[in-house]
Amino acid sequence: MTTTVNFQLPQQAPAASAVELRGVSREYGSKHATVRALNDVSLSFPTGTWTAVMGPSGSGKSTLLHCAAGLEQVSSGQVFLAGRDITFANDDQLTDMRRREVGFVFQSFNLIGSLTAEQNVALSLKLAGTRVDKSLVRTVLANVGLADRAKHKPRELSGGQQQRVAIARGMVTRPAVLFADEPTGALDTKSARVVLDLLRTMVQTQRQSIVMVTHDPAAAAAADSVVFLRDGVIVDHLARPSATVVAERLAHLEG
Amino acid sequence: MLKLSLRTFAERWQLFVGSIITVMIGVALVQSSLLILISLATYEPPASIPMLQQIELANAYEGGIALLGVTTGFSVFLTAFIVSSTFAFTVSQRRQDLALLRLVGGSRGNVRRLLLSEAAVLGSIGTALGIPFGLLTMELQTNLLISLQLVPEGFTPDFQFWIVAVAIGVGVGIAIAGVYVAARRASKVRPLEALRESGDVRKVMSPGRWIAGLFCLFAALAMTILSALLPSVGAMAVGINAALVASIAMAALSPVVVPLVARIFGFLFRGGLIGTLAQANLRDGVRRSAATAAPLLVLVAMLLAQWGSSETISDGAAEQARRDTRGDLVVSTQGAAVPAIARTSGVELVSPESQVPLTSTFNEVGEVEEPEEPEEGEAPKAPEPAEVITHKASAVATAVDPVAYQRTHVVPMAEGSLADLRGATVAVGAFDTEQTIKLGTMIEAKIGDHPVKLKVVALLPDSIGGGATMLLPRDVVPADVLAAAPTQTVVHLAGGADQGAVVDKLREQGGEVTPMAAWLAETSKKNDQQQTKISTVVMGLSGLYALIAVINAVVIGAAARRREFAAARVSGLRRSQVVRMALVESWGVTAIGLVLGALAAVTTLIGIGASTARITGSGGVTIPWLMVGLVVLGAFVVVGCTSIWTALSATRARPVTLIGARE
Ligand SMILES: Nc1ncnc2c1ncn2[C@@H]1O[C@H](COP(=O)(O)OP(=O)(O)O)[C@@H](O)[C@H]1O
Ligand SMILES: [Mg+2]
Repeated sequence: MTTTVNFQLPQQAPAASAVELRGVSREYGSKHATVRALNDVSLSFPTGTWTAVMGPSGSGKSTLLHCAAGLEQVSSGQVFLAGRDITFANDDQLTDMRRREVGFVFQSFNLIGSLTAEQNVALSLKLAGTRVDKSLVRTVLANVGLADRAKHKPRELSGGQQQRVAIARGMVTRPAVLFADEPTGALDTKSARVVLDLLRTMVQTQRQSIVMVTHDPAAAAAADSVVFLRDGVIVDHLARPSATVVAERLAHLEG
Repeated sequence: MLKLSLRTFAERWQLFVGSIITVMIGVALVQSSLLILISLATYEPPASIPMLQQIELANAYEGGIALLGVTTGFSVFLTAFIVSSTFAFTVSQRRQDLALLRLVGGSRGNVRRLLLSEAAVLGSIGTALGIPFGLLTMELQTNLLISLQLVPEGFTPDFQFWIVAVAIGVGVGIAIAGVYVAARRASKVRPLEALRESGDVRKVMSPGRWIAGLFCLFAALAMTILSALLPSVGAMAVGINAALVASIAMAALSPVVVPLVARIFGFLFRGGLIGTLAQANLRDGVRRSAATAAPLLVLVAMLLAQWGSSETISDGAAEQARRDTRGDLVVSTQGAAVPAIARTSGVELVSPESQVPLTSTFNEVGEVEEPEEPEEGEAPKAPEPAEVITHKASAVATAVDPVAYQRTHVVPMAEGSLADLRGATVAVGAFDTEQTIKLGTMIEAKIGDHPVKLKVVALLPDSIGGGATMLLPRDVVPADVLAAAPTQTVVHLAGGADQGAVVDKLREQGGEVTPMAAWLAETSKKNDQQQTKISTVVMGLSGLYALIAVINAVVIGAAARRREFAAARVSGLRRSQVVRMALVESWGVTAIGLVLGALAAVTTLIGIGASTARITGSGGVTIPWLMVGLVVLGAFVVVGCTSIWTALSATRARPVTLIGARE
């Protein structure tokens, strides 16, 4: 595979990109063996769009997402998030970013088990230092179709419902970027569809920027564009993807 | 934030209830021991009873004070140890929750404050329960002391209101202090850890833990050496603390040992599925294994150190008595009967030892400082007057016939000689534990109602288990006091005399007659019993507390493993196999606790053994094998049962219900 994709990079982090990586590498490992999970990746995720990140297992998708969200330190390169250089941000700054600028949705739903759906959503607001507006919480839960489940605890909800609570929690602070790692990975087709429609609505109505890692071509097809990773390198890019094309490219990469 | 932690209560109740229980019992123990101690310390014997009894009673109380001092010390130590290790453990068990809090925007400060305020709440609840529970404990402890005849019948400790402040300080203070380090560490959790199942990926042995562990280890060894060199009184005090410090060291360093024990286990159970899994779990859950082993370790260390050293000491005392005492019979009578014993045919020599009450004052003269050289043109300075401290003390002294005494007790004096024990003189022994008295010191004493000035002519050698407090020549004791004094007379039989006939004759004259060998055995048995009583008081309730902490740690450790157990079942293990896996694993932890606890106890036993050997010139450590056996058996049974029970209850739900949802 010799395809190299070059993205034109402006010198300044443009307001048009929600997240931008410049020459980012991330290595893991000890003295004995180092794994280069990301290898000189330059990439920008435009504001108000939904980008899917695809690739074979172990290609570095999650690492890319973690680095972009400031959850992981990069070994080299620079990361801009919501117009700020977070490459060397300290913990307080990153905490602040998590409170205001980013939201997360993960494959395992990561709700706090002891709190109800409503309380899980409200916790994000509380940590962001915003006055907890009960009606806002209710509205957001209603937006994800869970108005009647506000008082339920995670274990009383189905996987799809838990994931929608997670999305509501990720969204309630109106973050600049929503990061999602395999958000439909643990869901059946129907629940997955509901979640994807929800994300699509957010992009369309609120110009929400979304970075989503997935290995499901159907999920990727719901996004505005797809980038493909292999061995820590970006090897392909598709705009307005269709599920069939995505599946073909992926099969090609894995083959 | 606190609301979040209260919410969490329902989910993690084992953790919180466990924490509260440790605080509650700790507070109760400290409060109870302290109240009894204070009541003993402020006790005045009634003036209406005879002098000798007054002094004996005061001595009994003094013994009680020393005993309760040790008991209180142990309680405080255990409470600090158990509460802080339990709290730290619960925090480490919630790492993933805390990472999640960080992921959704919680700051380090948020996490720290959450944990600290939680500790304050749990500490307060524990204290609030501990204060009334402490009153019950006090009743129990007092009854124990009375039934063991360590304090007089009818002794009732008083409640003091300031104890509430102490209890709060102990309960809330230790909880917060214990959680502080753990909270700082937990607040550094990376948000990403919320996404991993791996638990705490950071090294368990942090540099701080290494430093603390090694520091305590060296401190314990230093104490061992010190206790080997100190006189008997100090040796016990320093020696017993060596095991405490060593158990902190062992607990801190235990994670290093876990993989080693895991490997041994893997070898023992090689090939078997359960053994392999248990070995892997031991290694993977180093922190959990270490935290569960910690209370067991300290329990074992304290039990073995206390019992081992008290048996060593009482054996040493018996050995010393056997070696130093010469005679055929011991006759117990009043002082007045001594001449009749001496006149009995077949008796060659009598050495009477009469117990007489004595109150005294003496002055300790400090070092005289040399005046500095006067400077040019200045008047020479007057020498500073030496500092004089006046001591007052009462004691039961032993009135002896110095010549006969030297033939029945063949032991060289530390300083001076019993040959000079004539007239208004005294030889000082255990009376002067602080060693302030020197040869030539004048002691103003009152024997009965008769004032005398006694010159110190000899210092008795150090002796295991006390020995005589002071020796007086019989002729300084007023005749009436002497006649009424309880007296033990050591008798040498004349060559060829028939022991049976002499015994019969002495019995006819009235008096309890015991052959020397039997008398020594009886004394040694009484000593043993006394030591056992003391150990029971010191370790009884503390031991129960540590035992509860052991159970607690097993419960807390299993509480967080429901999903892990469920995953094991989903991958094909039967429920009984999961329970067996947990059992084998918990026995691995038990073995770690036992071995490390025994190692910690060794520091005490070596110190006390060396000190005993030095003083008696022979012997060494007595290992209480019965106790060791009971402890080993008990530990495996208790930990095993708890672990079966917790594993059963953690696997009660069908696995699928746990695999999906986060707990
Ligand atoms: N914390 C880590 N420590 C060591 N290696 C890691 C770590 N996280 C990821 N890796 C390695 O980096 C590579 C990329 O991992 P990841 O980004 O999780 O892949 P993906 O999400 O595409 O499946 C893999 O080879 C993985 O083993
Ligand atoms: Mg991944």
